[in-house]
Amino acid sequence: MLRPVKKIIIVGGGTAGWLTAGVLASRYNTEAEAGLEVTLVESPDVATIGVGEGTWPSMRTTLQQMGVSETEFMRECEVSLKQGSRFENWVTGVNDYYYHPFSLPQAFGEFNLVPQWQKVRDKISFADAVCQQSQICDRGLAPKSITTPEYAFNVNYGYHLNAGKFADFLQRHCTEKLGVKHVLDHVTEVNSRPDGDIDSLNTKESGVLAGDLFVDCTGFAAVLIGEHYQVPFHSVRDVLFNDSALAVQVPYRNSDDPIASHTLGTAQSAGWIWNIGLPTRRGVGHVYSSAYNSDEQAERELRNYLEPIVGRRESEQLELRKINFNPGYRGEFWHRNCVAVGLSAGFVEPLEASALVMVEFSASTIAEQLPADRSMMKIAAQRFNHKFTRHWQQIIDFLKLHYVLSRRADSEYWVDHRHKKSVPESLQESVTMWQQQAPWLHDAPRFDELFSSASFQFVLCGMGFLSRDSAPPLRADDANLALANKLFNDNAKKTAQLLNVLPANRELIDKVMEFGFQKI
Amino acid sequence: MTNFVLLDPKEHANLRVITEHSADYGDNVKFAMTFPFEFRNIQSCYPIFFQKDPGSGKFYPVALFGFENDENLFLSDAGWDAPYIPVMIKRQPFLIGFQDDQDKPGEKKAVVSIDIDNPRVSESAGEVLFPEQGGTSEFLQKATGNLELIHQANAHSEKFVNALIEHDLLESFTLDIQLNDGSANQLLGFYTINEDSVRELSGEVLGQLNEQGFLLPMFMVLASHSNVRDLIALKNAKI
Repeated sequence: MLRPVKKIIIVGGGTAGWLTAGVLASRYNTEAEAGLEVTLVESPDVATIGVGEGTWPSMRTTLQQMGVSETEFMRECEVSLKQGSRFENWVTGVNDYYYHPFSLPQAFGEFNLVPQWQKVRDKISFADAVCQQSQICDRGLAPKSITTPEYAFNVNYGYHLNAGKFADFLQRHCTEKLGVKHVLDHVTEVNSRPDGDIDSLNTKESGVLAGDLFVDCTGFAAVLIGEHYQVPFHSVRDVLFNDSALAVQVPYRNSDDPIASHTLGTAQSAGWIWNIGLPTRRGVGHVYSSAYNSDEQAERELRNYLEPIVGRRESEQLELRKINFNPGYRGEFWHRNCVAVGLSAGFVEPLEASALVMVEFSASTIAEQLPADRSMMKIAAQRFNHKFTRHWQQIIDFLKLHYVLSRRADSEYWVDHRHKKSVPESLQESVTMWQQQAPWLHDAPRFDELFSSASFQFVLCGMGFLSRDSAPPLRADDANLALANKLFNDNAKKTAQLLNVLPANRELIDKVMEFGFQKI
Repeated sequence: MTNFVLLDPKEHANLRVITEHSADYGDNVKFAMTFPFEFRNIQSCYPIFFQKDPGSGKFYPVALFGFENDENLFLSDAGWDAPYIPVMIKRQPFLIGFQDDQDKPGEKKAVVSIDIDNPRVSESAGEVLFPEQGGTSEFLQKATGNLELIHQANAHSEKFVNALIEHDLLESFTLDIQLNDGSANQLLGFYTINEDSVRELSGEVLGQLNEQGFLLPMFMVLASHSNVRDLIALKNAKI
């Protein structure tokens, strides 16, 4: 008996729910006779948590494919442009910093610049040597100018945004332009079919919502995947210790203060502080481990951090919001005819802003591999689970790398992070390899890898890790050196040109408010 | 650099404006902004393309005079050799500006400014602005008329461009030019109307564009493309 997959019910209306709705409803015709029906049901009074105010460059493609105007998005969601992250005090704890930019190194994919850069590492940072973005960020410049068409760029970028406004914006776009049905009601009961599939959901006032595939976007509550199906949760607190956060909205002192075009991540005694510049305010937060830091001490460190930014009085008065989380992910994301997207699937500290990109990846995978009928769903689910388990493991390895390479020894937290028992075996193996071979394409062998080996290069080189190349000399050693020098010179020229023409990040954002980007 | 000041009959009583065209007077420009109202004249001499304003990213139509910066192929020792000179060139060295109207609070009135550092501005040669017998010269009246025309044309031009964008008719293009001496030139950074997209417009949209007065200028832009050939010939004649 073939049950066609025609009705998708998404439960939960945060960014995860609306992004999934938008991705599905823009790929499939929702108006046609036999078209896909996408319904999103959300409780009227459940506050969305608004994780991750930083996105990856992938969000540009996601929005473009949904038919969103970048100008409208920027005007309505308090958006600024993000070009990567700057990590401060992660290596020694004393005035060290490095960039993990969104741009790839020059000639990436064809030629590995790491071994060549290592020879000049005392003179120039890896990021400055191989791409333009770190210096562009240093000067607070934007990744494009007002004459650059929407979604196009001089250097790659994603966004910083107000997640609450983003969810509202997506809701309007999905319901007004993409034919998504919106039900504002409480889900009171999950009705099962005899085979264990979800048949329908009872709501308080809107009757029964029957569906073929149910997407759980209910956040930490995980109403379907957790509460209903009891799919086990795999905690990684023994690897990534952070499980608490104190978040705060920090006003600018002057309305024309510069807006940083990168996320700032500053290491603390037992955690780190994020600092994200929106056009209207900064979003700041201290994410830390409750096993190594008390809430009081964490608050003290956060307020000390804020003092030079907003002054002593305000730094003591700003209201903090506490968030607790259990870092980890589900044993299965797609179970029977239910798939979890967003926090219900898993969450780890926002060190590399991986929350929203995982939502985008999940939504596009569901859309692309949407089974036509129930008989195919088991295979689709298996593939999905395999793929996303791999993504989670890679995220965890990559985040852990930031801690493993640290030389900080000012607290047990940093020391314990380097204890072998807390480092996944896969990461231990990689680090062992990197001691002899600079990170390269083999480190991210799949086409759909979340982090490319360029990301590994930026973090390893940024944190001063040295690959001691003990292989025999190459026939191409001279040619490689010449090519590297040419690439370094090209990059220096391109950097100088861009520093000359790019506007300040705030200046560009103001212009987008006034004039908007052109489509071409 | 320009230095615009409000035109004042007392302060600028002795000023004159040179109307000849030459590189010395700043006419060595690759293109100038143009407006739909003059497209009929423009398309008989110059290619019309679109360009983005670097400050706002907004498109505006331009008449093209050359292929390289500071190159105006219509300029020779004898002056500007074309039957029609775009109004934005003719307006030099004046500009229209707006200031609060003291008689009608809350409203703005148009005022004429002059770029006193413009090489056309002289005290010895050129057209008189304020004749000794008082009042304003015919030349200045005509110049003021041109400024008003530009002001009105600007608003209309913006609507025209918005209509082109709304119907996805603009596209960027690169023009590769092979000159007689074998050298290759490339024209970059301009936009034009895509003829295929125009052909695909529905009767309904064409009707709307016609009612708005945008259809004729669209076709004049398309017709002006043939002037690129003449422009290349001018360039070849100079090498």
